[in-house]
This record gives sequence, C-alpha cells and structure tokens, in this order.
Amino acid sequence: MVLDPWGWMMMMCFFVALPCALLGAYLILRRMSLVGDAISHSALPGIVVAFAFVGDLSSPWLLVGAAVAGVLVTFLIEQIHRRTRIKQDSAIGIAFTSLFALGLVLIRVLLGDKVHLHQDSVLEGNVSHVTYAKTVRFLGLDVPDSLFPAAIVAVVTVALIIVFYRILTLSSFDAGLAASLGYSPGVVHYALMAVLSVVVVSAFEAVGAILVIALLILPGATAYLCTHRMKLMLFLSAVHALISSIAGIYISVWFNGKASAGVVIAGTLLFLLAWMIGPADGVLVKAIQRRRHLLD
Amino acid sequence: MKICFCLLGLILLSLIGCNNNSLDEIWESTETFESGGKMRVATTTTIVRDLVRVIGGDEVDVFGLMGEGIDPHSYIERPTDMIALKSADVIFYSGLHLEEKLQENLEKLDDSYAVTAGIAKSELIIPEDKYEAYADPHVWGDPELWGHTIKVVVDVLVAKDAKNADLYKARGVTHLAEMLELKSWAKNRLSEVPVEHRILVTSHDAFMYYAKAFGFEVKAIDGLAPGDKGGPKKVKELVNFIQEKKLKMIFPESAANSKGISAIAKDAGVAVSAHELFADATGKLGVMESVDGETYDVGSYIGMIKHNINAIVEGLK
Repeated sequence: MVLDPWGWMMMMCFFVALPCALLGAYLILRRMSLVGDAISHSALPGIVVAFAFVGDLSSPWLLVGAAVAGVLVTFLIEQIHRRTRIKQDSAIGIAFTSLFALGLVLIRVLLGDKVHLHQDSVLEGNVSHVTYAKTVRFLGLDVPDSLFPAAIVAVVTVALIIVFYRILTLSSFDAGLAASLGYSPGVVHYALMAVLSVVVVSAFEAVGAILVIALLILPGATAYLCTHRMKLMLFLSAVHALISSIAGIYISVWFNGKASAGVVIAGTLLFLLAWMIGPADGVLVKAIQRRRHLLD
Repeated sequence: MKICFCLLGLILLSLIGCNNNSLDEIWESTETFESGGKMRVATTTTIVRDLVRVIGGDEVDVFGLMGEGIDPHSYIERPTDMIALKSADVIFYSGLHLEEKLQENLEKLDDSYAVTAGIAKSELIIPEDKYEAYADPHVWGDPELWGHTIKVVVDVLVAKDAKNADLYKARGVTHLAEMLELKSWAKNRLSEVPVEHRILVTSHDAFMYYAKAFGFEVKAIDGLAPGDKGGPKKVKELVNFIQEKKLKMIFPESAANSKGISAIAKDAGVAVSAHELFADATGKLGVMESVDGETYDVGSYIGMIKHNINAIVEGLK
C-alpha cells in the first residue's frame, strides 16, 4: 500500500495541523497567538489530576482533564488582564507557567514515586503510533483506527468555523460592532477557547506541547503575508497545514528523526517563502511594486 | 495570485513524487525471507540484539533499533526503525514495560515477542511502592534469569524457520550453559568483595535482580527509569547512607547522565568509578576488554556482565 507508513503519518499530521491552522488564523487576528502555548502547557496539571482519579495512563479521561485545564487557563488569563493593570501577554505568562509548575508539584504530591508520569511525555509528542494501529476498512482502504479521533476533531472544527464564520470574524475584527449587533464577545471568546483547548490537547499527543504552538501560528502567519482577505487567509492556512504535513514527513525521513520537528521545519520554510515572495506583503513583491511606482 | 497557486501545486506534486528510503540501509541482503533470503529480525535494546545474534547466528539478519548509550525507557523510533519494524519477519523486544512508549506500539504488531515472557511471574521483582503492578524490567542483572529468555527466541525462530531448527536449538542449549557458567563465574569473582562492602550505588534502579542474585544491596539516585528523579530529600538520604556504610566507590552508568552521581560522590566524599556500568544497554560491539588475562567483547551480553562485575570487584574489594 502506497500510504504505508508515511502516507498515514502525513494524514495524521494534516488532521492535527488543519484545525490548529484555522483556529490559529483567528488567534493571530485577535493577537492571542500565545494562548495556544498557555493551553498546551497548563494541560499537565489537568492530566495529573485526571490520572490520580482514574489511575490509567491511556484513559481518555486524561484528555478531558487536559482540556478542562486548558479552558481554566484561558479563564485565568482573561481575569488577570481584565481585573488588573497587567496586559494580556504578561497575564498569559503568569497563568500558564504557574499552572505548569502546579502540575509538577501535583506529580510529586498526588502520585509520589508511585508512577512514572513524566513531564516530558506532555512536552514531546509522537505521530508514529498510526503506523502500528489496528486498521479499519473505510472507503475501500485499510485505515489505522487512531487516525479517526484526529480526523473527527478536524472535521468538527472545520464545520464549526464554517457555521460561525460570520460571528467569529466580526468579533475578531471589531468586538464593539459585534456586541452592538447583539453577539456577546465574551461567549464567542470562551467558545473559541474551549474548542481551542480540545484541538490543542488532541494535537499535543501527536506533536507535543511545544511544537503545537508552531502549528497554531505558522499557517496563519504565512497566510497573513499572502492575503488580506479573511476567507482566503483561512484557505491558505489550510494549504499551509497540508504542505507542511507532507513535506514535514519527507524531511523527517531525510534526517531520520521526529516527524513533529520535520513538520515545523517545513512550516517555517513556507513562512520564510511567504515573507520573501508573498503576494500581499512579500519583500520582493513590495520591492517590485516600489520600482514600478517609481518608473510610473 | 494564480502564479502563487501554481507554485504551491508544483511543490505539492514534487513532494508526493519523492521516493521512500530503501531497505538496503537496514538489511544485509535485498532478498526477503519468503524469496529465499535470511529471516529479518528487528530487536530493540542491544541486550536483546545480542541474544538474537547468538541464537540466530549467520542464519538470521538482525537489526537493532537502539544503539549503545541509548536509554530504552525514553526511546522513540526513528523513520528507519519504522521501516525496519514494518519489513521485519520477527520482532523481539525486552518487555515488562522497559521500552515504555515503543512497547505499546510493538504490542500491536503481529510477530512481535517480548523475550521476558519466558520468565515466570514469581521470579519477577515487583517494587512495593509502585502505583501499578509493574515489575522491574531489568531482569538481565541475573544471568540465570535472563537465560529463561533463550527459550522464547529459540521457539519463535524454530517455528518461523524450520529448516534451521536444529541450529537454533543447539545454540540455545549452549547459550543457556554459558549463562549458568557466567553466573557462577560472577559469584566466584564477587566473593573477593567483603560482605560488608557489598553495596552498589548507581544512577538509576537497574540492578535489583543483580542484587538479588549476588547478595548485594543497591541504592540509586533515580527510580526505575533515568529521569524518574528523586527529590533533594532522597539525595540527602543517599549521601548519609554512603557515609554511614563507609563505601569506597559509587558507579556511573553508560546510558545515564553521570552528573547526579558525581555530585553525590562529592557530597559524600566517595570515589566515582572510572568504569561506567552497562545498565540498560551493552557497550559498543567489537570493543574488546581484557581483565586478568581474560578478553571479552563489551558489546555482547556476556562481555557486558563481565565488565560490570570486574568494575564492581575492582572498586569495592
């Protein structure tokens, strides 16, 4: 089978990268890019507490705990920067580092020496498990079953963004106007954060808490340099996710290392490309325009 | 804009058109087992690799995922490893959760076997303070116990490759005898260490079976896996313990960071052995070591145990 194993890993990366890319585009517009970082790091205490209850490292409740912690950290950030003079960037720094530290303390206090739950298991991810998963017959192909949760998260996120496109875009560009039209920016904010938590948590299993932030920011940032239209920006973000997933696996095979690192390197290269030759803000494009302007 | 899309399309197409890694880098011969080539066996740790190499001999093509100096607890497979695992006819891993994440993946594959399945549950050490009933995976500390893994490898190889069955069986019998001989050699050698000095302090808890087999007491800075850090309290207890017992030497490990052990040695005023012990991996294959006129390859299991025992005897006697 042609798709085996790299094809499945590419698809896995894409299903992880796609929802991150779309949500990331909105995060960039809202100047909240680092919230993704905050969510992914604060997942640790959520995982530890959930583990203390269920006592099983492979339980899905661990992801639920992580997602709850993710929503909690966005709530904390919001409260700190609303109720004090502290700005949002500092609030992010305070909220997630303290929750991550709390996670480290909880590992010791709740679990002690009893279990080998290491913070590295949250910081580093792995997509190779699709290679070993049991396969399910789907659309005439033997599809690894571990691909489905990621695919479902991706499809649901895309659907939500299509359905709430108007509200999301409006409140991202002009919260005041959105409020005057009867949409509550607070509800939109927390709904976006809740979806983001689920997406980030399901992504860091694959790429880890550090590299997930690249999946959130790079596509949107790259698209932002290529276009000034929202719909096109979302589309280009998705294209970025697709190319970096495919190219990333090839890069990782080439240097014989981790897939997640390859995907991020590919994404960064695309960003550099957009920076240089992006149709909207590319350095070269601008230089040409300037020259044309002078010639005229 | 259109040019941009065309460019993207081109990049995409060129990427999909790339070729995969070839199998030549992994296996000796390009011929598969089905088409008359050697059986392809993938192994995880160097200790398992040596086991299969000894029993399989020239009749099998062995690929080891992990090199020397690799910590099997935190190993994540590289792309070449995935190709090796996919194209292997048989996979042997150590098991008992030694390979942690990798083991979870290996368990899902057909034709993958944990060599430690050959060891009876009653022989395993289950640390009392563990959350889950995970047994200590470092069973190779006792050569006699490790000898039980031979049967697993022999049975699988015989079932897969009946035409060489006699060879595998004969090598299994010889290797088992070597294990028993190794244990009595080690016991004999360790008798040079005075009973009150039979205490081994190392980086991580990998020597429990060794301790049980040879009447040693073991203490480690880390828990069962490197990175399973003890807090400051544990370090202080260890320093006190070393001073109380008037230990002469403590030991670093090849696949673990020796910083911790050096710091403790400094605090406790005890020497650090110049010889790193091989805990979770053998030494480099082909590196010969001579002690008391006896030469062995530290890349083999027997050589690894001899190296450890010689280092311990030299340091503590």
